[in-house]
Amino acid sequence: MHTGTTNQVANPNTVVWNSPGIWITYLLTTGFMHLILLSMPWFTTSVSWTLTNVLHGVCMYFFLHTIKGTPFETSDQGKYRYSTHWEQIDSGTQFTAARKFFMTTPIVLYILASFYSMYDFTHFVVNTLVLLLSLLPKLPQLHGVRIFGINKY
Amino acid sequence: MDQPHKWVLAEAIHSMYQAPLYHLILEVLLVIWILRLLFSKSYRIQDRVPLTKSEKEALVLDWTPEPLVPPLDKTLSEAVPYRAVNGQPGKNVEVDGRLCLNMASLNFLGLLGNLRIEKQATQSIKKYGVGSCGPRAFYGTVDVHVELEEKLAKFIKSERAIIYSYGFASIASAIPAYAKRGDIIFADEGVCFAIQKGLQASRSKIVYFKHNDMRDLEEKLKHQEQLDKKDSKKASVTRKFMVVEGLYMNSGQICDLPKLVELKYKYKVRLFVEESLSFGVLGEHGRGITEHFNIPIGKVDMISGSLEYALASSGGFCCGRAYVIDHQRLSGQGYVFSASLPPFLATAAMEALDIMHENADMLKELKYKGRKMQQLLNGIPGIELVGYPDSPAFHLRRKDPVSFKEDLQFLQDIVNKCSKNDLCLTIAGRLKDEELNSNWPPSIRVAVTVKISDEELERAANIIRDATV
Repeated sequence: MHTGTTNQVANPNTVVWNSPGIWITYLLTTGFMHLILLSMPWFTTSVSWTLTNVLHGVCMYFFLHTIKGTPFETSDQGKYRYSTHWEQIDSGTQFTAARKFFMTTPIVLYILASFYSMYDFTHFVVNTLVLLLSLLPKLPQLHGVRIFGINKY
Repeated sequence: MDQPHKWVLAEAIHSMYQAPLYHLILEVLLVIWILRLLFSKSYRIQDRVPLTKSEKEALVLDWTPEPLVPPLDKTLSEAVPYRAVNGQPGKNVEVDGRLCLNMASLNFLGLLGNLRIEKQATQSIKKYGVGSCGPRAFYGTVDVHVELEEKLAKFIKSERAIIYSYGFASIASAIPAYAKRGDIIFADEGVCFAIQKGLQASRSKIVYFKHNDMRDLEEKLKHQEQLDKKDSKKASVTRKFMVVEGLYMNSGQICDLPKLVELKYKYKVRLFVEESLSFGVLGEHGRGITEHFNIPIGKVDMISGSLEYALASSGGFCCGRAYVIDHQRLSGQGYVFSASLPPFLATAAMEALDIMHENADMLKELKYKGRKMQQLLNGIPGIELVGYPDSPAFHLRRKDPVSFKEDLQFLQDIVNKCSKNDLCLTIAGRLKDEELNSNWPPSIRVAVTVKISDEELERAANIIRDATV
């Protein structure tokens, strides 16, 4: 895809997460993944919920906070080369609708997972760690920060 | 949990009442966090860089504007000590108010200021005006361009020629027109700056071989052949080129064309020869290195030359098979994206070509003068003469090099002393930080013109000899 023509934004990554279609797709995918895990007979309900949370958290971390740059051929001379996907959303504007939505979903999933795992301690530890993994990098205070230079380039 | 059991909602709700306190507190905090999140206002992170008033003032105070033009003394001291040239540099040139014998310009056939050429050029200006006002493919083609191309092709006995408006740009555009990323170019390490730029622009893999060392080149070709055998699939889509100069700008040596042609067919490599200096110098009629070695021009895939040295005009050209050369009309960047050669310069080049064609004796004389000057300069203590014996352009280097800086100063002193005795020489210019071989020894490039008489050659040799003492 070649962008940068008159009727398109320079970097589609900045606007793609605003569309309701993406939100619904995301919710459906997560729900579908959960249903698959739930349907496996050797997982109890608690385990499948925790697994859903873990998979969701890890995927979110990988796709939003590890991968940098954009797959599109943009005309911005590599401005987003070193920005993670999360940092590119809405060109870095904080607390927009998309950001609020994707910050809320991990918390809701965490609360659900906690409920369905019956507040078991092991599940609590795993779920909380995963929650931190997907929540902390989203904080505005950590925008553009690379702790210990991890994933800097 | 060892035994999977059915999950019951009531049980889960029951466990909620028994949930540990820390867990509940955390969840309540998270719910508050969501609520805060929903009601927080959006802002651009770029706008939230707080600067206090004192910080702002400190920044303003810190800033001292740089002058638009740096102080004159500094620029003068850092720059090369330039010499002012007045008038047209021909056989003699007025440098800093003194009329000197010119052995710095590469005006081999003495065609600078030739009256016949000047007359043709003047007529051409009256007919076409001074500029062509556009690239060749965009209203910039004038009949003299086509004529010059035909004439050049006919003269050099190749199928097709293409002219560029700048000599430097012709080889620098021609190489990247054919060689692309993933291709391999074997180039001499002594190639001139224009070729280096062309190699760089091609983004190919460049393999440099030792200057004029055919054995080294063959070794590298053999090595590549072995690599190709290992990965024949990749080799089938890799183009291979050799790039050499006919008469090297940086060393005054000529390339070993017969051996290169032999290697070309043996290892299936395409051969490009840059003839900026050798065109109008080598060979019986000035056709360059191919004529010098009596090799049919078809054995070389492309020849690139300049109209700026022997022909005393401006621009450059490439010669070769029609389907090879015509490729440049859409892919030679310097051809496509540059205004074409001013028509009067094309006329001047044509006239120069005619003069060269009519007076083939000039070339014999040029070789004789080059040889004579080299013999005269041979054996000067402390100086080493580098160059092909028949070449009118050759280099004087320091025999026992100390360091680059000191050698340069040593040569500069010679040049300065010579200019006091009305002989104009120059150090071969190199961009030390940008050129490939940064420890290439500094040298004085002596250029002989047919117009310089034998007595003047002897006088010049004596001046140089005296200057080195």
